[in-house]
Amino acid sequence: MMRKLTIRHFVGLITLSLFLLISLSASAQTRQISGNVTSVDGPLPGATVMIKGTTTGVVTDPKGSFKLAVPANGTLVISILGYDSQELVIGAANTYEVKLAANVSALNEVVVVGYGTTKRKDLTGSVSSVTAEQVAKVPVTALDQALQGRSSGVQVTNNDGAPGSGVTVLIRGVGSLGSNEPLYVVDGYPITGGLNNINPNDIASMDILKDASATAIYGVRASNGVVIITTKKGRRDGVEVALDAYTSVQSEPKKYKVLNAEQWATLANKTPGFDRLPEWANPSALQNVNWQDEVYRSGVRQNYNLAVRGGGEKVQSSFSAGYFDQKGVVTGSYFKRINLGLNIDYDATKWLKSSSTAKYSRQNANNPFGTGALATLSELIPTIGGNKLTNKAKDENGNYGFYDPVNTYTRGWNNPLYTIESQDSKNLTNYFLGTTSLEATLFEGLKIKTNLGINTTDYSGYYFMPSDTRSLDQYGVASPNILNIYSQSANNTFEWLWENTVSYSKTFGEHAVDFVGGISQQRNEFRQVGGNGNALISDAIRDLSQVKNLVAFGNQQTFTLASQFARLNYKFMDRYLITATVRRDGSSKFFKGNQYGVFPSGSVAWRAKEESFLKDVNFLSDLKLRASYGEVGNQAGIRPFQYLARYSSGGPATSPINVGYPFGGAYQDGLAYVNLDNQRLTWETSRQTDIGVDAAFLNGDLSLTVDYYRKDSKDFLLQIPTASQSGVTNSAQNAGSIRNQGFEFALNYKHTENDFTYGVGLNVTTVKNKLLSITQNTSFIGNLVNLTTPANGWLQFSRTGIGQAVGEFYGYKSVGIFQTQAEIDALNAKAPRGNYQGNSSQKTQPGDRKFRDVTGDGQITADDRTSLGSPIPKFYGGVNLDLAYKGFDFNAFFYGSYGNKIFNYQARNLESFQAPSFVGIQNVSEVYYKNSWSPTNPSNRYARVNYNDDVSANNVASSIYVEDGSYLRLRNVTLGYTLPSNVAKKLTMSRVRMYLAAQNLFTITKYSGLDPEIGQPTGTDPNNNNASSNNATASGVDVGTYPSSRFFTLGLNVTF
Amino acid sequence: MKNKKYLYILAVGLIVLTPFSCKKGFLNQTDSSNPTAQALFNKPADGIALVNAIYDTYQNADLLKKSLWYYANFQTHDFFNWGNDRFYNTYAIPSTFGGIQVFWQRAYIGIARANSAIEILKTMKVKGVLNEALANRLTGEVYFLRGMTYYYLASSFGGVPLELSNGANDGLKPRNSQTEVFTQVEADLKLAAELLPWKEEYGASDLGRATKGAALGYLGASQMWLKKYAEALVNFNQLNGKYSLMPRFIDIHEYNKENNAESIFEVQFIIAGTQSWGGGNEVAWIGSFGMPEEVSNFGYDYGNKILYDGFQAGDLRKEASIIGPGDVHPSPAIIAKGGIKSYPLVIAGFASTDAAVKAKYTGVDGKIINTCGTVARPWVGTDNAIPRSGYYSTKMWRDPTLDGNSGVSNIFGAQNQILLRYGEILLSKAECQARTGDNAGALATLKVLRDRAFGGTAPVVFMSEGKVITDPLQMVYHDYRHELTGEYSTFYNLRRAGVATSFVKEVYNITIPRGRELYPIPQYEIGLNPNLVPNDGY
Repeated sequence: MMRKLTIRHFVGLITLSLFLLISLSASAQTRQISGNVTSVDGPLPGATVMIKGTTTGVVTDPKGSFKLAVPANGTLVISILGYDSQELVIGAANTYEVKLAANVSALNEVVVVGYGTTKRKDLTGSVSSVTAEQVAKVPVTALDQALQGRSSGVQVTNNDGAPGSGVTVLIRGVGSLGSNEPLYVVDGYPITGGLNNINPNDIASMDILKDASATAIYGVRASNGVVIITTKKGRRDGVEVALDAYTSVQSEPKKYKVLNAEQWATLANKTPGFDRLPEWANPSALQNVNWQDEVYRSGVRQNYNLAVRGGGEKVQSSFSAGYFDQKGVVTGSYFKRINLGLNIDYDATKWLKSSSTAKYSRQNANNPFGTGALATLSELIPTIGGNKLTNKAKDENGNYGFYDPVNTYTRGWNNPLYTIESQDSKNLTNYFLGTTSLEATLFEGLKIKTNLGINTTDYSGYYFMPSDTRSLDQYGVASPNILNIYSQSANNTFEWLWENTVSYSKTFGEHAVDFVGGISQQRNEFRQVGGNGNALISDAIRDLSQVKNLVAFGNQQTFTLASQFARLNYKFMDRYLITATVRRDGSSKFFKGNQYGVFPSGSVAWRAKEESFLKDVNFLSDLKLRASYGEVGNQAGIRPFQYLARYSSGGPATSPINVGYPFGGAYQDGLAYVNLDNQRLTWETSRQTDIGVDAAFLNGDLSLTVDYYRKDSKDFLLQIPTASQSGVTNSAQNAGSIRNQGFEFALNYKHTENDFTYGVGLNVTTVKNKLLSITQNTSFIGNLVNLTTPANGWLQFSRTGIGQAVGEFYGYKSVGIFQTQAEIDALNAKAPRGNYQGNSSQKTQPGDRKFRDVTGDGQITADDRTSLGSPIPKFYGGVNLDLAYKGFDFNAFFYGSYGNKIFNYQARNLESFQAPSFVGIQNVSEVYYKNSWSPTNPSNRYARVNYNDDVSANNVASSIYVEDGSYLRLRNVTLGYTLPSNVAKKLTMSRVRMYLAAQNLFTITKYSGLDPEIGQPTGTDPNNNNASSNNATASGVDVGTYPSSRFFTLGLNVTF
Repeated sequence: MKNKKYLYILAVGLIVLTPFSCKKGFLNQTDSSNPTAQALFNKPADGIALVNAIYDTYQNADLLKKSLWYYANFQTHDFFNWGNDRFYNTYAIPSTFGGIQVFWQRAYIGIARANSAIEILKTMKVKGVLNEALANRLTGEVYFLRGMTYYYLASSFGGVPLELSNGANDGLKPRNSQTEVFTQVEADLKLAAELLPWKEEYGASDLGRATKGAALGYLGASQMWLKKYAEALVNFNQLNGKYSLMPRFIDIHEYNKENNAESIFEVQFIIAGTQSWGGGNEVAWIGSFGMPEEVSNFGYDYGNKILYDGFQAGDLRKEASIIGPGDVHPSPAIIAKGGIKSYPLVIAGFASTDAAVKAKYTGVDGKIINTCGTVARPWVGTDNAIPRSGYYSTKMWRDPTLDGNSGVSNIFGAQNQILLRYGEILLSKAECQARTGDNAGALATLKVLRDRAFGGTAPVVFMSEGKVITDPLQMVYHDYRHELTGEYSTFYNLRRAGVATSFVKEVYNITIPRGRELYPIPQYEIGLNPNLVPNDGY
């Protein structure tokens, strides 16, 4: 009681102060006017009609009518929750008809939650929504990219700028050391991968379930958040034909400033210790090859989408066809996709209806450098004299240059243009997602529903590289004969889902109950086959039966989920809300007895605005307080059957991983114990607390959502390195725990005044990520993924200790460059083994990088490595500006990240004259060339140039490569013009809009590399046969990936 | 109409309310890609395959070459590395060196395979899947392989953790002492010697399997580590008549004389698939990486001239072990192939228009070269910063099908690697004899080897490094080197005798830093098992 009074007092004070601020002047000369306030649905009772700048006003009666005494000059402000407020200049007339437009972003907006929908005002959990309009604003290839900057709590980072390449989506921080990918549910179907097959143009809305209350209905798959995607349905009234098309031109990316042939050869001639080619003696005569220019080009992206949506009372259908074609900025890279979609809703009877969706896509993509290898372009020696026919990358006769195949220091390099243009490859994917449901209303409020879905993906691809005898022809046996190689593979995933639910909603006086419960089964079968070999008799053949040294593979795997779930919403007096959710999930990934988990959650909300003491507080349009707690799981990080001890024959005699052995000159099969049995393996668990406030002001024009979250995740499913004494090098374990906590703010303002509409949206999320524990025998975890590129000195670049943020960079503290031998001698004199740094065979010299003796033992050892910063931002967010005036619309969208560090591995490469990990030399950056240490140029930043940087160890992972990765990017800016409707009508169209858009126009950053947007670069997983992989312990490392560049788009939206 | 409605309701209701297809097995999937214990071990072949997989751990270049061979030969300073592993030249092997990490890993993987096989073989025998003879032989092989693996671990690292049982294993045991490990080796090999058949009792298709002879050989060696010289002698003597010396020293490592009468245990290789990069693990690059760069484009290992010069005049083992400028390759197989002049790089180099290249491949007679460089122009490689010595191992350079990174790029070869041969047994025996006071016996044993070395009758005076040696033990040490250099034994035997540091000091005037006789415990493993204590000196 006491508390209630206090709140009342407080509110009263605020109200009073507002009164004081507002001018109380009232005119003496008044007259009476009257009017009606309506919406498309009819009269609007309860709307407030105020005289602007005063406190005078009335509320409309049950028929939507009002009467008011007004001054001679003035403006009426008409507002009501759920509708855009309107201002009206008082003229001579005495009656006014006001039609208000519904405000879709307000509280009556329907939010899709698992197995049902709810109104935003009734939500007790934390859910952000992204609308079709927002998705349409930035042209994207895949849906996850469209999430960037649109929702608080969701961090989206493009891993690289290649067409169709991956995106890292983190909902509320890094919650796992394994998989951090959210669950995507498309039209009620929880998909397993393949998100980039969904056509972004088909999206009606994306609802992001963030807290445990919202996600718990998805149980063991929910701990990384859930994104519910709903596609556009047909309409009930008539037909709409929509054509959306755009074409974008993508500019060439920024390039690294590296040396030209003359500079490079000059440098090579100054650097002793390796074999030179005679022609380098005359640098100015060399043909320069700028590899970045040779391989980069401008890109083109086209997207066409045609949709027919319509229907009547009984049947509504939506058909769409899309074509997306992107030619990337790297020669040979492309991403093409054809989409067909069909949604049919059929209300068979008053009580029976069905809803079906079908989505087909065919995708063809190629990315010649894969991910990460693009850095090679800046490292290739800029002169290429090996081919006696040409010293160009490619000459007029179609001859490609190659590097001298005899010289040890150049023969490791290849002409990438030759590789790209001579290879033949295809990566085709056919994708189908179909769902159909039947729902019966048994009686008012009680519905039963069965939902069936299938999802199938077929991939088939091949890669061919022709034989290459060019260097053999010109240099004879001294150079290797390169055989053609061919590989072909195909795989198929087939998955089905069957779910049955019962739902019941009922209002009893002040009480409202909404219940849904159901059961679900899902089964996923995967099968693949493939092979590779070489030495085909002709370069025209693409047939595995014609290869020599065939290595074939083929396997299959099934996993299943069986679940029961229920959710109960209870609402009292439309203001006290309680939600309780539970899901029991069984997964075949675990051993009997550990298969089933129960995931409960509960939440409460209080719509304070409905209370009598706030009802009349006009500046506050809405206020809701929320709190939730719950437990959800994650099983994505592990392959099936890790709980079984397994024996493997490892393949035939020809396989590099066979475990057999020859006796008497003939191979005999082996059978080896290959992994530990761990029957205790179980899912990862995350427990999350969320406290949130939703508030709206200024008649709903301004809305604010603030959430505090704390997510404790544990028992990560990891294939972790295990001491070899166990007999395996790694084993599947549940290990570790992490806490993520922070605040999310979402602020939106939108106002319409006459023809002018403007809006600002801002969302900011803070993240504090902390490793709480790892396994019992270690206090840290290193990077679980290695860099794909040769990484001498960079095998370990991240290490997360207890209390640190996941993926903290790890290496030596660089403290400048040794300037004099005396400086080195002084340190050596004090060193226990006579060497402060380096060793007896590799003496440190002036010009070498100097590292800090962190342990203080007088020498630099591996123990002197230390934490160098975190790739996790302190906060990130998006800013959205919308302006519309008459036919014009303008949108600017910024995305930014603050406080994260980048480990600039590529800078290391550009400061290494030696090709890391190889016997070979490479190109370096101009900055390094001009500033590298020499006795006459005593740099304290750039080490001396030498041909064996691997040994000098100047370029090992150290603080010199750690940079501030904060940035603010103008992600998108759009200017659109919609033809006046009468003009459009003359063209037999109902709406015609043209727009110009630019993506990535500018980026504000201190980062020295090409692009500060660095997610989790694809690396290799040493614990999984070096399969390519992304991991949170290996994020924020710039390996010189495909940078984002600018897109300029011209688009057209036409509706008939 | 009304009826129809209820029919619908009934139909839909049934679907929802019946827990559909909730078969018990819905969540119980079978792993069809990886055999598990339930699907296996019901036929004898599975038992054999389990044992084969333990041998397989030795088909690994990091284990065999970068760990055992490097240790045996780089640690003595008889051979060097030109490539990335140059730190051996200064005994500065980093604890992060990948080669020894793989060695440790492969060794323990093999031990785990052995431990799991011991239990499974027991069950298979009880179930009658394996008859007693096969079960005993297979069990004997398992104990042999486990014992031998611990033998090399303890010889290289000192004490290592003893893992002797199967099952969920956290891999966190601390190190046992070197003596404890050798005691276990002795026990394993005694058991193996009881269970295993002699070499001649095996069929031809089982050639290469562990034998009673091999078990006795390693048993004796492990007893020498434990200083049980008398017992070792007894075990060595059991090999009398079971093995014999090849009449010509050069033939021991000939490519077409694998598994010969002198060989006691050798790691088997065959050609399976490509002999180039990406080939199976039945082949290895052990051979071609030590061939001169002028022949192979590799030249990663090269010999020490002091080793070459230290042989007594007339010792035929010299050119069969190391050749230098002006020497013709002595291998009958290479001679049959056409000699050095038949290598593609040599032919191309002689045909080169580049005078410097041509000179390198021109013999003293002005014709295409058929020697390992010439005195005037030794083959020191193209890396002027770190020239090779011009001397190369001829025990490694035997497989005539290899041409390294040139021609058809046959890099990987199928030459078996002899880990233990009767010649070494005789030397070990001589050491035991000398140590048990039987100097005459020791000299007699040595004479057998020396007579072969000199092609019939050895000179009475024993010379090495230009010095006359009269002490029988010193003779054994010097012959560990001259007999076994370039194989897998020399430094192990010197350390076993307790003279490694003093011998290297005597021959090369190089002091091995304190503690550096041993390999460092791999840093990676210390990271995973904090109970592992690093070796003193690292």
